[in-house]
Amino acid sequence: MEKIGVYVCHCGTNIAGTVDVQEVAEWAAARLKHRGVVVGREYKFMCSSLGQELIEKDIKELGLTRVVVAACSPHLHENTFRTACKRAGLNPYLCELVSIREQVSWVHTDKDMATAKAMAVVSGGVERVLHHEALEPLKVSIHPDTLVVGGGIAGIQAALEIADAGYKVYLVEREPSIGGHMAQFDKTFPTLDCAACILTPKMVQAGTHPNIELLTWSEVEKVDGYVGNFSVTIRKKSRYVKTDLCTGCGICWEKCPKKVVDDVFEAGMGTRKAIYTPFAQAVPRYPVIDRANCTYYIKGTCKACEKFCPTSAIDFNQEDEIITVNVGNIVLATGYETFDAHRMAQYGYGRLPNVLTSIEFERMCNASGPTNGEILLRDGKSKPKAVGIVHCVGSRDKNYNEYCSVICCMQGLKFAHLVHERTGAEVYNFYIDMRTPFKGYEEFYQRVLEEGTHFIRGKVAEINDAPRTPEEQGKLIAQVEDTLVGVQMRIPLDMVILSVALEPRHDAKETAKRFGLSCSADGWFIEKHPKLDPVATMTEGILIAGCVQGPKDIPASVAQGAAAAARALGKIHAKEIALEPVRASVIEEKCSGCRICNGLCPFNAISFHEERMVTEINAALCQGCGTCVAACPAGAITGTGFSNEQIFAQIEGLLLLNVGEEPVPA
Amino acid sequence: MTEASETYTFTFMREVSGLLHAADGNPFPMCVQCGTCSGSCPVAAYMDYTPRQIIAMVNAGLKDQVMESNTFWYCASCYQCTVRCPQGISITELMYALQRYSIWKNKYKEGLIGPSFSEAFAKMIVRTGRTFEPILAPSYIFSFKLGEFFREIQNATELMIKGRLPLLPAQIKRLDNFKRMVRRIIPMGGVE
Repeated sequence: MEKIGVYVCHCGTNIAGTVDVQEVAEWAAARLKHRGVVVGREYKFMCSSLGQELIEKDIKELGLTRVVVAACSPHLHENTFRTACKRAGLNPYLCELVSIREQVSWVHTDKDMATAKAMAVVSGGVERVLHHEALEPLKVSIHPDTLVVGGGIAGIQAALEIADAGYKVYLVEREPSIGGHMAQFDKTFPTLDCAACILTPKMVQAGTHPNIELLTWSEVEKVDGYVGNFSVTIRKKSRYVKTDLCTGCGICWEKCPKKVVDDVFEAGMGTRKAIYTPFAQAVPRYPVIDRANCTYYIKGTCKACEKFCPTSAIDFNQEDEIITVNVGNIVLATGYETFDAHRMAQYGYGRLPNVLTSIEFERMCNASGPTNGEILLRDGKSKPKAVGIVHCVGSRDKNYNEYCSVICCMQGLKFAHLVHERTGAEVYNFYIDMRTPFKGYEEFYQRVLEEGTHFIRGKVAEINDAPRTPEEQGKLIAQVEDTLVGVQMRIPLDMVILSVALEPRHDAKETAKRFGLSCSADGWFIEKHPKLDPVATMTEGILIAGCVQGPKDIPASVAQGAAAAARALGKIHAKEIALEPVRASVIEEKCSGCRICNGLCPFNAISFHEERMVTEINAALCQGCGTCVAACPAGAITGTGFSNEQIFAQIEGLLLLNVGEEPVPA
Repeated sequence: MTEASETYTFTFMREVSGLLHAADGNPFPMCVQCGTCSGSCPVAAYMDYTPRQIIAMVNAGLKDQVMESNTFWYCASCYQCTVRCPQGISITELMYALQRYSIWKNKYKEGLIGPSFSEAFAKMIVRTGRTFEPILAPSYIFSFKLGEFFREIQNATELMIKGRLPLLPAQIKRLDNFKRMVRRIIPMGGVE
């Protein structure tokens, strides 16, 4: 006969405020005695060391063979109680944690009913734990190399941290150079550091680090394997430039006769050649040929770059290269895109030439940008006398994106400062709420207030060029309610900057699927815990950093990059990882080979054995979610810890079918 | 302005919300006071309070001030505010709800055409199922000044000559059914 101990937690008043915990503990000891319960205790905080010692003591003294803890969700403290059992010499998987907080006390108000439900939940746990097996965690080794996807500031930071610790990093970047969005900016808030001055040293470091293998102009095609042992297929897109010969001298793009509007780095504000590096400080320095625009590929003649290249590095016949790398951990730092301002027709973007997006304005401010840092109207000559900055364009708006884009308030302040400094124009910030938390931000707001920027609380209703008065002639007019006055205003402006929302990458959903992650409805990748585990994901070994997880500014992105690196390094140092033995397995005799489960697995753990015509589950990849178990029409898949017997026993327990008519005397 | 400071009462907000329970859009207490509605409003300049202020005042329970305002009677029903509202609130519907409330409680600003017109209009619809301008117009036309009165008559005559105004009132079929329907869906405050 098994000896079961039942432990009911007060969780302060979290549980005890709604559930009579003492009654539950006594009830379990009395009414479930015939099912093997030998002791029922309650304690103020079971998770405290004293609470854990209570369990350990009983295991040793009473010889408990199973433990049921009725407390919070297993998500929080399952590990705590399993470890306590382990310390007392009991296999940790013979401990069952049932939730009477999230599923009982927090969702009920009637104390009697809640207590009755808590009893049923405990009873279910007791029946279930009887079917538990002693399990050993699965140990897998960790490959010491790491893959970082995305060469923006978050990815660069993660790569440098790991490389500095002495481990190899593959840094994959889709564009020809690393640097990401930060490389496009001129100044950074709140200190007004020059973005390039603080970023390019890190880029150079990443580019020359002996432990970092840069894979720019490359994309991840496929990810196989599991934590510690990923095998990643990467497409190195052909640059049409032999990187071993190229010196980055720049003669090719000087001589190239084809000018192309640069929609990526210059945000459409400037041009580049058909053979190009996105910007002067690009890392690596090798250019790429833009095949879609290259005269040679269109007309069959030109080859100016090839003719002038002093090292004969141009190779028009180069083909994409597919490489496979083995890594133990993956950091995803794929960043964001910006909201398409055309979607809000009332702001006239695309129709009114002097309505710019924030990224376009960043390029205009940048000393190496299309106007050499001069703030000019589209005529390329005149300076604006009045500039409006519209906040929340595409964010905090149920018609587009509900979330706040985090950076726009500070970005608006930065723009206001730059416009003041470089043009002396009147600046209007149109905001709904000013949000300036974090170090030095409020102080920057104060500084911009002192500079005399006008702050108008009101979301701009429309920007138009239809004048009603002589002063409005030839101007853009921002129509807005100054909500602090309660009057509709029409403000004549020369230039309007739209603070466009940050949005997930257009292919975020495919990326998530490729790496076995999940996205929120908005498209941002979901972290393991929103507060306590912000860089891990539900897939072991895959970490996220920067804006891929949600809008954030540079300091936060850098912090996350470093945090993700620390996580990866921890695993690398441990050399092996114990995986939860809660896994699905296939009973081969029952498997009909229907393959229904094959496509359902969110972790790509299921494959089909063609010869034996049965499905196989990779135990290291399986996260024990149970999708396949539920889907199998033949009942051929069983989950360790979630077998049919366990589930049915738990249901019977919940229905109190196990409780005898007469209470067994204690 | 009252001498003592005000305190919040929510009865008014809840009564108005009740009138909107079947309307599209999010509940108006979700308003974040961004002012998109009032910036977009083509008649905001003529209103006592902007639509945004009206929402804040309803939320704060300032019933008398809201009922005394012309805002919701001036709404041109262009729906620009509703289309642009970042919180997905149907502001136009709120304006209609306030009109209904105003008639229901028989409290409105003096000297407005809106209330008497709305009442006459609604009564006519309930009675016949159709509007008939030659009857509808005179029922509120006396609130006009003399000059406007003559201009309206001149307009009406011209319309009639061109055949744009019917001479005989129309009536819909199965009027009883229609009346029963209307009784079920509209709170009949002030209208028979």
